[in-house]
Amino acid sequence: MSCMSNPAVRRYLVRFAVAMALYAGSLVLSVWYFVQFRPTGPLAWLLAVLPSLPIIGQLAVFGMYLAEEKDEFMRNLQIQSLIWGIGATLSVTVVWGFLESFVRLQHMNLILVYPLYCVLSGISLGVLQLRYR
Amino acid sequence: MKNRLRVLRAEREWSQADLAERLQVSRQSVNAIETGKFDSSLPLAFKLARLFGTNIEAIFSDEG
Repeated sequence: MSCMSNPAVRRYLVRFAVAMALYAGSLVLSVWYFVQFRPTGPLAWLLAVLPSLPIIGQLAVFGMYLAEEKDEFMRNLQIQSLIWGIGATLSVTVVWGFLESFVRLQHMNLILVYPLYCVLSGISLGVLQLRYR
Repeated sequence: MKNRLRVLRAEREWSQADLAERLQVSRQSVNAIETGKFDSSLPLAFKLARLFGTNIEAIFSDEG
């Protein structure tokens, strides 16, 4: 069974694409509204949080994929890459945090933590796939 | 865990992809189980046994 003939993978990709589209849309909307109207109060909070919701949705979509994946080896591979990705992200950010505190390294914007996790878990998945090739 | 999947496949002239198709899993899954890098679950072991018309002990061995 190839990757694309796997129904769980197909559903995951569709849901992921929807979440990405919602992210792009909400980001454009929030930036545009802030630039045009300089909102304050609850509306500013709501618009600031808005683009993060589809990202949380992406995490939920990944959880749904893990629940729906019937191929136990592929599920195991994804879980391993998830754990390696989380571990590597926590390692990088905690080291960065201490460097920021002690040697005044440039501040890392927390928005970057999620893309960092995506890159590191992607690298982990690639390495694991080489191992099990 | 050791297994005789390669031999059982060879007897039927099945490729890893053929076996994967029959089990409805990926070829990488078959390869990982066959090379002993991944231990299959009990349900998948039963599925393999049924597919090869034998019992689990005839496919998998915990020795060595």
